[in-house]
Amino acid sequence: MLRYTLSRLSQAILVTFVMSFLLFMLIGLMPGDPLENMLEGNPSLTPELMAQMRELYGLDQSVFARYWNWLMAALSGDLGYSSLYFRPVTDVLFPAMLQTVKLMGLTLLVSVPLALLLGSLAARKPNGLIDSVVGVFSFASISLPNFWVSLLLIILFSVKLGWLPASGTPLSAAPSALEQMRHMVLPVAVLAMFHVGPLVRYVRASMIETLSADFVRTARAKGLGEGSVMVRHALRNALIPMVTVLALSFGSLFSGALVVETIFGMLGMGKMIYDAIGNIDFNLALVGLLLATIVTLLANLLADLAYALLDPRITL
Amino acid sequence: MTDVTVAALPAPRSIWSLRFEKFRGHRLAMYSLVFLAVLTAICLMAWPLSQYLGIDPNKTNLLARFKAPNAQHWLGTDDLGRDVLIRLMYGGQVSIAVGLLATFLMTVLGVAVGVTAGFLGGRTDAVLMRLTDCMIALPLIPLLIVLGAVDLTKLGLSAASAGSPLFIFLRIVIIIALVDWTTMARIARAGAIQVRDRDYVRAATVAGAKRRYNVLVHVLPNISTPLIVAATLTVGRVILLESTLSFLGFGIVPPTPTWGNMLTNAQQLIISAPHLAVYPGLLIFATVMAVNFVGDGVRYAFDPRAENEGRSH
Amino acid sequence: MSNPLLEIDRLSVHIPMRGKGLLSSGIKLRAVDEVSLTMQRGETLAIVGESGSGKSTLGYVVAGLRQQTGGSLKITPSRPHQNGRKPVQIIFQDPFSALDPRMTVEDIIGEPLRLMGQDRGTRRGRVLEVLEQVGMPAEAAQRYPHQFSGGQRQRLAIARALIGDPELIVADEPLSALDVSIQSKILNLMSDIKERHGISYFFISHDFGVVRHLADRVAVLYLGRLMELAPADEIFANPAHPYTRALMDAVPRIGRGRRKRGQVLKGEIPTPLNPPSGCVFHTRCPRATAICSTERPLLLPLVSRPAQLAACHHKE
Repeated sequence: MLRYTLSRLSQAILVTFVMSFLLFMLIGLMPGDPLENMLEGNPSLTPELMAQMRELYGLDQSVFARYWNWLMAALSGDLGYSSLYFRPVTDVLFPAMLQTVKLMGLTLLVSVPLALLLGSLAARKPNGLIDSVVGVFSFASISLPNFWVSLLLIILFSVKLGWLPASGTPLSAAPSALEQMRHMVLPVAVLAMFHVGPLVRYVRASMIETLSADFVRTARAKGLGEGSVMVRHALRNALIPMVTVLALSFGSLFSGALVVETIFGMLGMGKMIYDAIGNIDFNLALVGLLLATIVTLLANLLADLAYALLDPRITL
Repeated sequence: MTDVTVAALPAPRSIWSLRFEKFRGHRLAMYSLVFLAVLTAICLMAWPLSQYLGIDPNKTNLLARFKAPNAQHWLGTDDLGRDVLIRLMYGGQVSIAVGLLATFLMTVLGVAVGVTAGFLGGRTDAVLMRLTDCMIALPLIPLLIVLGAVDLTKLGLSAASAGSPLFIFLRIVIIIALVDWTTMARIARAGAIQVRDRDYVRAATVAGAKRRYNVLVHVLPNISTPLIVAATLTVGRVILLESTLSFLGFGIVPPTPTWGNMLTNAQQLIISAPHLAVYPGLLIFATVMAVNFVGDGVRYAFDPRAENEGRSH
Repeated sequence: MSNPLLEIDRLSVHIPMRGKGLLSSGIKLRAVDEVSLTMQRGETLAIVGESGSGKSTLGYVVAGLRQQTGGSLKITPSRPHQNGRKPVQIIFQDPFSALDPRMTVEDIIGEPLRLMGQDRGTRRGRVLEVLEQVGMPAEAAQRYPHQFSGGQRQRLAIARALIGDPELIVADEPLSALDVSIQSKILNLMSDIKERHGISYFFISHDFGVVRHLADRVAVLYLGRLMELAPADEIFANPAHPYTRALMDAVPRIGRGRRKRGQVLKGEIPTPLNPPSGCVFHTRCPRATAICSTERPLLLPLVSRPAQLAACHHKE
């Protein structure tokens, strides 16, 4: 197990470095260059001065040399300055990360129980009425454009009915917990709607499989009630591999969070990355993307390890 | 010498006719296919209709903003006075074309990677599959935004061609294919590994077949079933990705209309003109849903359990 | 007799085992270990052994599907290779995996000719010819493999092997996946073809009953090494190697259960990753003495019957 962990961990680290280089290159291909953006509109800048500055910042070097410099600085803790917020990148990203964790965490609290409920209901009678309805629902979930649903919910609940705020972030300086929650309702609803579809299909398939397994039939023969069979045997068995499914959905959940944060104006990681790229904030975009990548890789690594631990069929 | 009676052999029946019959049995898929065909036909009418009504869909007219539906503008006009219907029709062309083209491109890419990995095996396989594993995990939208933001003039393209609508269109197709080929690669690899160890490939090798022959003649036809199923389901996802990207402003940019970028402005107009947010999204939803139903029907029709019906023992 | 069809000289196939990840573990699997034998034209040589004895691997090397790691192999066709004609063809055990399900029988059987560059029109006549030779109707040509039974498929596989006019057919347990009633038909077909076309079989089998009907000579393989090599009559009358004897005792007699007589073979076949020292058979041999675990016996002719060779310190 230790060997497996170390080997997977070293692979993840290698991938992180490769990704950091690729992202560094891609970010460098965004329009403009860091210096121009930083000093935009400064009339005292002569071309000669610009050239000097370029040399000073190492911008005249090859992409490899620049990457190396950036990497060395990054590894020593200097992730650069955000040109959009005039603050160190870390200061900007840390609160944003908390915001995104909150959004994604709340989403999981909604989508996972909902998926288990709907999936189990559908699995009880495959091809029955409930199953068909749940099937169409999960198809809708993977087919709905989440930005459109966000707009519709805002139009309905904020503009027409006026029940819920259209923005995900409270305006007051020290909002109460209830106030914060009210602002989270719509974003979480959209994200959960979009996250739940594939999960439902997974739970349904795995429940149907376990419900036809021998041990479940034994449990039924023992005279256990249907509810007890569902919860104690079938559901519990479906839960273990669900860890992997959840981890694999992490990337798409983050993608969804980016869209939702952007529409609801929540200062999370997704919106940070979006704004950074839109406003050519090289440092913020690079670190934000890299952070998102690392967290996703980490989630997958943990899922792999959890799966290996839980499933005796994988020999380590 | 002949000791097998011909009568014992069932008449040859193509797998495709069996499949088509099964697909027709999947009613939801059949309706969806009809819907998509009609929708595509309507979208293709954009140019003739705009000529007939005398409308330039990209021309702004600030005197004719937010017009209600009338004889010339059947669905009214948007915030810049452009005809909503014609723009929706052009947008549909773009969405469907991106969906089909990007899916085709990523199938080619995924099959190339997957078959190479699966057929060569060993270290090539290990490296390629590690790469695929990582790609699968990455968050697509942020990655697409960066790729969408790349300044092509920095790659040596002239500013004029980089900004042309055709280039912007191709660029979306390419970047979506670049980040989303992994599912195809996995399927192709799994199939290639299975077929690689089949005795018919070995027999061909003994008879002098080279790797290229085996891949083209034996591997590709035998992995086509799961690939076709996966490709159909991919079209829907691609349409969603394109519209999301265009909505966020990193996909296809105005004046070229797409269902996604028509919603970008709608966000600012949810108080004054909420109806503008309804049509494009509804069309995206209906199209993607229909494509997914068709995909489900294809999967059902291609279910291997049905292919064995003709087997005689 | 001075110009044999096949000459194998101290041929070995050692397969390096892959460890976890990308590195080799340094362990080698000795699938075939220093095997030497020759085959005359028109002669059928049966290779007998348990599963894991390396007989299939040896067959794959003869067919050119695998490279040897040591020793040499030489095939001398009586006619020159014209237009890419291959002197060796192969038939497999599993008739369901042997035919491409997406091709018509005509394309399957004609494939060797296609690979020789012949066009469809040229191929057709020859396809019908070989179909007739294997007892299949011409109508079969337009059908797909799934429309045939296992025995019929094996006939088609034989037809494909025949079409390129080979001199040697490697037959890798061609009967063991078939029903007993079908086995005898295919066996008759194979011996019929042998007589009519003067084809040699490199006939791999674990079944002495089948071998007795077809083979001119028999080679017994154990853990990749040649134990005994003798004309069929002599080996069946007087097996010299205790392993050969043990295998023969295990042959089922029709009407009685399998392995009724003295079970000589004890235990499992050892792993070829770490074969026993000296004579590889000593761990299971009833006649083993001290010398057997230290010294590797050479394959030598018997004093009384010089055509019969055995690698045993205590041969009969």
